[in-house]
Amino acid sequence: MKIQATELCKKFNRSVSVDGNKKKSRQEEFLAVDHVSLTAKGGEILGVLGPNGAGKTTLLRMLGTLMKPTSGTVSVIDDNGKEMTDAIAVKRYIGYLSENTKLYNRLSVREMLRTIAEIYGLDAETTETRIDQIAEVLRLQGFIDNRIERLSTGQKQRASIARCLVHSPQIYIFDEPTLGLDILSSESIIEFMRSERERGRGVLYSTHYMEEAQYLCDRIVMIYKGQIIAEGTPQGLMEQTGTENLRETFRTLINGIEKEMEEETGEGAL
Amino acid sequence: MNKKIVKALYRKEILDILRDKKTILMMIVVPLILYPLIFMFSMYLSTSMLKASTSKSYRVSVQDTENAEELKNFILEHQEKHEYDFVFVDSYTENRDSEEALRQKEVDAYVMQSVSENRPYYEIGYMASETDSQTAGGMLKDMLGDYRDDLRDDILEEKGLDIKETISPINFAMKDFSTKEENAGYIFGYIVPFLLITSILMGALYPAIDTTAGEKERGTLETLLTLPVKNLELITAKFLATSTVAVAAALLNLLSMGIMAIYLMSSTAAVGQDMGINLFSYIPAMIITLLCVLVFAMFASAVCLCACIYARSFKEAQNYTTPVMLIFMMGGMAGMIPSLRLDGTTALIPVVNITLLIAELFKFHFELSRIAMVLISNLAYAGIAVVLMARLFSSENILFGDAAASLHLMEARKDMKEKQIPGIGDVVLLFSILLIVMLFAGSLAVAKWGLYGLFVEQGLMLACVLGYSWYMKADFTKVFHLRKPRGIAVIASVLMIIGSYLVIQVIGGLITAAFPSLSTENTEMLVSLWENKPLWLLILAVAVVPPVCEEFVFRGFLLGALEHKYKAWVAVVVCGLMFGLYHMSILQFFLIGLVGIVLTYVAWKEQCIWLSILMHALNNLTSLLLQQFEEPITQKLPFLAEETISFGTGAGMVIGGIVFLALGFVLLQKRSKNGKQTAVDIV
Repeated sequence: MKIQATELCKKFNRSVSVDGNKKKSRQEEFLAVDHVSLTAKGGEILGVLGPNGAGKTTLLRMLGTLMKPTSGTVSVIDDNGKEMTDAIAVKRYIGYLSENTKLYNRLSVREMLRTIAEIYGLDAETTETRIDQIAEVLRLQGFIDNRIERLSTGQKQRASIARCLVHSPQIYIFDEPTLGLDILSSESIIEFMRSERERGRGVLYSTHYMEEAQYLCDRIVMIYKGQIIAEGTPQGLMEQTGTENLRETFRTLINGIEKEMEEETGEGAL
Repeated sequence: MNKKIVKALYRKEILDILRDKKTILMMIVVPLILYPLIFMFSMYLSTSMLKASTSKSYRVSVQDTENAEELKNFILEHQEKHEYDFVFVDSYTENRDSEEALRQKEVDAYVMQSVSENRPYYEIGYMASETDSQTAGGMLKDMLGDYRDDLRDDILEEKGLDIKETISPINFAMKDFSTKEENAGYIFGYIVPFLLITSILMGALYPAIDTTAGEKERGTLETLLTLPVKNLELITAKFLATSTVAVAAALLNLLSMGIMAIYLMSSTAAVGQDMGINLFSYIPAMIITLLCVLVFAMFASAVCLCACIYARSFKEAQNYTTPVMLIFMMGGMAGMIPSLRLDGTTALIPVVNITLLIAELFKFHFELSRIAMVLISNLAYAGIAVVLMARLFSSENILFGDAAASLHLMEARKDMKEKQIPGIGDVVLLFSILLIVMLFAGSLAVAKWGLYGLFVEQGLMLACVLGYSWYMKADFTKVFHLRKPRGIAVIASVLMIIGSYLVIQVIGGLITAAFPSLSTENTEMLVSLWENKPLWLLILAVAVVPPVCEEFVFRGFLLGALEHKYKAWVAVVVCGLMFGLYHMSILQFFLIGLVGIVLTYVAWKEQCIWLSILMHALNNLTSLLLQQFEEPITQKLPFLAEETISFGTGAGMVIGGIVFLALGFVLLQKRSKNGKQTAVDIV
């Protein structure tokens, strides 16, 4: 099973102040994601790296079919080579998690999981065994019947993961899953991603923690200003740029691009 | 649509709503506790006010009156009869005037005598703006009435006449055949619909906001988007959940009202004033009212959801729903307008139809066809709203971007992009504005200034559309199709309008022959406007101004918005039919709708509004001239005078019309000689 993005673009409007005047502004179109193509396969962890505002979240939202791309396609291809592009069909194979996917506070964890299972079309019996399974793996037993509004941050994060496990997805798309979590909570999430990789599932995840990506990811895609600036294994990328760690790799790459751009605009001015 | 998904979402929504304390408060506490409290408080207030006003003594003065003492004595002797209590204060009269005394509240009212028409004339001075003064004035009026009757009786007696026979040579009385139940129902019919509509709306409003803007604000909408759920499923579930809560709220309100009614009955029975109303006789009315509640809850939920769906926060949603609330409440008061009855038209007006139906039911009028019409039309409106919402609703836009992207008036003008194209939201908003402007300002102008009012009306229309476009910085050339006409297209346009005119005449003749009642519709008013006016003014009012103004609205703004959003043929047909609808009559809808389609086609094909203005002007001019010079024309062309068009003439006209239309159509397909016909010129 793999997920494939082809030439994905997303155009947004933003207001730009005119001549530095704060009161005068005009609307301007810009590409938040600029012709990005990538593939994430089962059995590997693909890291999407980039600074804030690079377009990571927009890219992941399009991959999760939460957002329609301005142009380009997202498809899921199963092991027999069958390709699916319909958003509803794609969603059945994906477990999507981000900081913005909040839970229904007024429901208990169990009620929420049941609702989701029903939406995915699981029958009652399968649902219960599935919930018990998930509760054991993620250690939810202590609070599974509590309303979500009463849970702690770490418990909520575990409940969130439980949410995207219900339908046994083949591919996980996690947008900054470890952001703002303590060491124990983020370690358990990293552990989870590793174990899912061992089970042959694909994990596509974004982060701006370079160290985390360096020891966790099988492959890395670096994006900057909506474009892919580098792609490869962490080791390969470091060798390519002659750096010691990913943090430096990233800095070197960005510096190179900024220099190029400066030269371009400099020439233009001359 | 997957029913299982809808069911799962519905259950989640209901659970979510019911676990919210605010909803419970609005749904249960308000109807069950607050309403009876308000009711009892107002009862207490009115009885205590009545008591206070009768048991109080009022300060009055009798002055400048020849027989002041006699009048005073009469009042003192007879005030017992009315349970009045007056205190005379006359001391101030020497140095102050009476109005001043009233204003200073030294007296509540006074009586002053003068002479008019050779008879004594008493003036009762009071101030309607002061409760006490008004009551005292009224009481004095009663007393003076008694005094007059007393004097009259004396005179009659002196003359030796029988008082009874002289004063009332005949007797009469009124006999009311309506039952007590019908009388009470008449009053219920005023109040019940209003209370029901308000309570259903209140019941629908909160969950509607909570499931739309609330879901967005709590961040769960993005979670929902990760699930394989279609828009229609999502909207349906939200709609059903909102309706359920609205129905529950309405039922609780009904229950609360019912308990109050029974309480009122039994309490009046206890003090010996049994109204003798058989509550069981209202059961059929109650059952159909319940049906109305169900159906109306659906309608109200759909409307509330429509209002909230684009809101990005609770606060925004509340702002959007305020006008909805006001409109609903106004509709709920329809039962209080005496001339408004449930007929074929009012049965189709939302809110008003439910109000009138419930009022009729409580008066024991059961007309099955009307009941069905009201219920079905409400269901249909709700259904249309849900389907439309599912089509227009884009969670993505609400979550990640321009929620009301098609509504450009939402932004400040300085933030607008240059050269915009109006969206469907803009069309809806502009046409709503136009409707209001036409209905109020336009018809007022026509009523006041006659033919000149027409110019005002049309001018307002043009001003609205141009003003709106200016505000949103529309691309005027593109939106209004301001291209120079091609010579060949001018010829084609003339041919096509002649063709359509001929065809329309025949179809119009056929329709009026089949439905004679349609032909007299609203022509009389226009004729009265035209009488005794110079020809040039008529031409201006019929064949110049309306074509320009209407074309800018329809072939300009409307077509400009539609053609960028939909397929060309959809845009052309919708724009043409909207033009027919604008003329607000059934006969004209078909005929003008057809002309509208032809006009729209030419304007779209050539991207040139001047051609459709020309065609529109020619069409109107022909009608005007034919009407003005009916006699000389029919002398030369006698077949025009025929009451009904003969088959031969009709067929000839249709064939000729189609030939003209086809010729024009073919000519339009020809490209210009220089091959490049996209040279855009602003004329």
